[in-house]
Amino acid sequence: MSSPLAGAPVAGLRTLERGRRRKRARRMGVNALGLLVFAIIIFPVYWMIATAFKRGSDIFADTPVWFPLHPTLSNFSDAIHRPHFWADVKNSLIIVGCVVVFSLVLAFLAALALAKFRFYGRKAFIVLIIGVQMIPLNALIIPIYLVLSKAHQVDKLSGVIVTYLTFVLPFTVWTLRGFMLGVPRELEEAAQVDGSTRFGAFVRILLPLIGPGLVATSIFAFIQAWNEFIMAYVLLHSPEKQTLTVWLASFITDRGTAWGPLMAGATLTALPVVIFFVAVQRKIAFGLTAGAVRG
Amino acid sequence: MKTRLIAAVALAVALAIPASTASGSTTKASASKLVIWLQTDAQNGWPGAVAAATSAFKAQHPGVDVEVQYQQWTTHLQKFDASIAAGDVPDVIEMGNTETTKYMAAGAFSALKAKNYPNSSTWLTALKQSCSFGGKLYCIPYYAGARAVIYRKDLYRSVGVRTAPKTFAKFISVGKKLMKKYGKNKNFSAFYEPGQNWYVAMSFVADYGGTIAVNKGGKWKGTLNTPQAIRALTVFKNTTRLLSRASKTTDEAHPFPSIPFAKGRAAAFIGNGWEWPYVFDPKGGAAPKSFAKKMGAYPMPSHIRGRYTPTFLGGSDLAIPAQSKNKQLAADWIKQFTNSSNERTIAKAGNIANTTTLVNVNKTNPQLAPFAKAAKYSWFVPTAPNWVNVENANVLKNMCTAILTNRSSVKDAASKASSQMTKILNAKS
Amino acid sequence: MSSRSPAATAAIAAPAVARRRPFGRRLRRGAAPYALLLPAAAVIGAVLGYPLYYLVRLSFQHYGLFQLVRHKGEAIGTANYAQILHDGFFWHVVLRTLVFAAVCVVLTVVLGTLIALLLAEVGSFVRLLLTAGLIFAWATPVVVAVSIWSWMVDFEFGVLNWTLTELHVGDYTHHDWFANPWTGWAVIISLIVWGAIPFVAITLYAGLTQVSPELVEAASIDGASRWRVFRDITLPLLKPIYVIVISLSIIWDFQVFNQVWLILNGSPRTDYYLMAIYAYVESFKISEYGLGSAIAVVMVAIMILISFFYVREMVKVGEGE
Repeated sequence: MSSPLAGAPVAGLRTLERGRRRKRARRMGVNALGLLVFAIIIFPVYWMIATAFKRGSDIFADTPVWFPLHPTLSNFSDAIHRPHFWADVKNSLIIVGCVVVFSLVLAFLAALALAKFRFYGRKAFIVLIIGVQMIPLNALIIPIYLVLSKAHQVDKLSGVIVTYLTFVLPFTVWTLRGFMLGVPRELEEAAQVDGSTRFGAFVRILLPLIGPGLVATSIFAFIQAWNEFIMAYVLLHSPEKQTLTVWLASFITDRGTAWGPLMAGATLTALPVVIFFVAVQRKIAFGLTAGAVRG
Repeated sequence: MKTRLIAAVALAVALAIPASTASGSTTKASASKLVIWLQTDAQNGWPGAVAAATSAFKAQHPGVDVEVQYQQWTTHLQKFDASIAAGDVPDVIEMGNTETTKYMAAGAFSALKAKNYPNSSTWLTALKQSCSFGGKLYCIPYYAGARAVIYRKDLYRSVGVRTAPKTFAKFISVGKKLMKKYGKNKNFSAFYEPGQNWYVAMSFVADYGGTIAVNKGGKWKGTLNTPQAIRALTVFKNTTRLLSRASKTTDEAHPFPSIPFAKGRAAAFIGNGWEWPYVFDPKGGAAPKSFAKKMGAYPMPSHIRGRYTPTFLGGSDLAIPAQSKNKQLAADWIKQFTNSSNERTIAKAGNIANTTTLVNVNKTNPQLAPFAKAAKYSWFVPTAPNWVNVENANVLKNMCTAILTNRSSVKDAASKASSQMTKILNAKS
Repeated sequence: MSSRSPAATAAIAAPAVARRRPFGRRLRRGAAPYALLLPAAAVIGAVLGYPLYYLVRLSFQHYGLFQLVRHKGEAIGTANYAQILHDGFFWHVVLRTLVFAAVCVVLTVVLGTLIALLLAEVGSFVRLLLTAGLIFAWATPVVVAVSIWSWMVDFEFGVLNWTLTELHVGDYTHHDWFANPWTGWAVIISLIVWGAIPFVAITLYAGLTQVSPELVEAASIDGASRWRVFRDITLPLLKPIYVIVISLSIIWDFQVFNQVWLILNGSPRTDYYLMAIYAYVESFKISEYGLGSAIAVVMVAIMILISFFYVREMVKVGEGE
């Protein structure tokens, strides 16, 4: 930072020293503030995980037990041994996997149209995908159920997947479109020289370049599909076809909420999201904006 | 990264293909499958009865598959409404006895013949009432529950009270003594009463001869603004404010009173029979086994000597939706599920069986006997088609909160609730 | 891994002016764009097309449980709309929803911006920690987040009441946060903002990393204050991100349902009614599906009105400047 001033006269050195000290103090202050913000943000999550490891008597304690001094795994085994846990894990993975993949493919195609073509109805489509997000989901429960029932898609994972797609697509289309605008013309021209079909070449060149965009949108789709509750509850009847959030809700009953197992179940449910996130973490920052900066 | 993404895609597709083919192959609405919606209470409380009914049913109908799907009280009607709209309803549905009237009035259930079902001549009147509409029977009584006071014998003894109070005045005086002795601990309640536990408030109303709403000449009218009801609600307010430090804005499920009770924060609370074991549940109160020696239960005494304050007789019924395609099979399953042997199992789990012939099942069980005794005096919600809307709009819960927090006078809150009820109960359906 | 930087640099390097794209031009007049849009539009149309029509039709009908069982509504014209538009309570709820959404959006965006700026300043370790915290908060399902928060502010065993009492802020033993709607809303807003900040902060931070440091440094050497650097350089560059983040926040916060519904145990007092809750109660709790649909339609209309500016902005951006 100070390199431009390296050759400064001796008189300037003292002020430089003072400036450095001030900078260091500032840096420490900023870091301390960062830690404080971290503590505030993480506390609810910490409380969830800590509760998951606590014994029943420590969960409802007169003075809060800040740290599970007598950690137990019984809440976790309790949660896992509830009926249909593994079936529900599988269902959630299938639903999320399909939503992520299909939303990326469909959004890629739609974004290509929006980014690279000028055509009649483009504005209408943009308004449509923004407008779709404005409809309160609760008002659509019965009509969506009706439609899916007519198509024999109730109590089937495919019905839930299609429903989630409609709510994930707007954001994914919009973000990917931003990435495509970011692809420099030179690369497109390079592709043109290639002998293969124009469209194929275009896709071949474009696909790797918008990788981060695909990652960013996939995270969004992942979180949305993984955490949704009400549509999954209403659309899936059979216990072996339900998702993890529906399974989680079964911990809260009229005859008592099983707090320990609920928090253990919640920790387990959040885990895949965090793993997915960490795996792609290095992309996300760049991914999200590169798209967003382009609008 | 590219390879990882491709791997992820491949994995997802690989997972998806068997899934979609699997789900595609199940044929819809086959006559060989009976779909039953029960509440999770059965799953946790008396799974044996469900299994017994299903296996007896299967012996009768070898080719028919039975699928029991467990529902949540908070969301099951929403799901049921959606399935009605689409016409793919379950074949049997469990409903709370305050929920049934609305669906009977709307024609959502098929009419049944009582004599085809076990013990129909001895069904509990309150449950049978909740299944009757316009002179016809639309559901089968399943089980009921009564509430009684669960209390700490040792704490009562420590203020010189050795027997359970037999009069309401005694009940109050024990409470006062307890508050005096232990009230310095701000978490302590002599009688833990969550403010939105409107069942308790309405028990007082019933005890003082009041009613919630009455039907006069085909028109419903909220009657909590009558002098009897206002007097009762004032007693409710004074009792609760004097003896309870429970939250005034939550109901009896948040938290379950058994938890503060197990922690020594309450000397007594009004609860169902099944809340007793919840005191010891490691996921609930987690009290040590030895705690049981200190516990007792008694029916809430009335202000009238020799009587109990009427308890709300909550319960569940089993109905066959009108759109079901397997009505005969559904009826057969219900017959098995509500036979005497299964009802006995259900009663032993802390409930009251659907028939008076089983009233003594828990008589020798000191833990559950007071609850059966309490059921002698009971009240039930008005059997108006729209009643459940009053519950769902939280009219009475909001009234209780308003009264207990002094946000409005008893009279104002009761009048407001009454006019809201009049409006909701007479709404065209 | 290596594919990140080219795309990122590409995104930064690409000038903001609209360029002629060779492929695009060639394919422009054909059916190609429609073919590309078709799958996405088909899915959205198939799942939402009929439900939308159904919703609007329902709003002109008397549709209770009786009608639901018979699958046939009773046309009553605009009576549902007349009823809600003449209902003082409804307008009260509308006003509350608007204020609530505004508070949430402002808090989310301001705090999100501050955290993004903080992320850019702190050391790499703290940054990693803070990012991890944000990710965890984002990854927590709403159902679970609400459970944790309601658990923390619990009347009997809540850690917040205990801490405040121990810190001698006052006697918070048995403090009921929801008894007073003001503190109740404060808890709900904190919960929502907590859940919404990660998306905003991470997105904005990513944007900040693309603001050329030379530009900022040059301005600082010129003696511009930090605030001026932010206002005159950073903010304009981040404008497209803000347009997205703010419009999405408006849409999401205007429709808030789950957090309020769940933290109040599914029985909110009328003090806690938002439009989404009102519509839900009318539909599913009172079985007045027609009335509930009318409320939902009015809700969408209001949202279109308030987000008009942002949608126009997005469409404009979408038109390629």
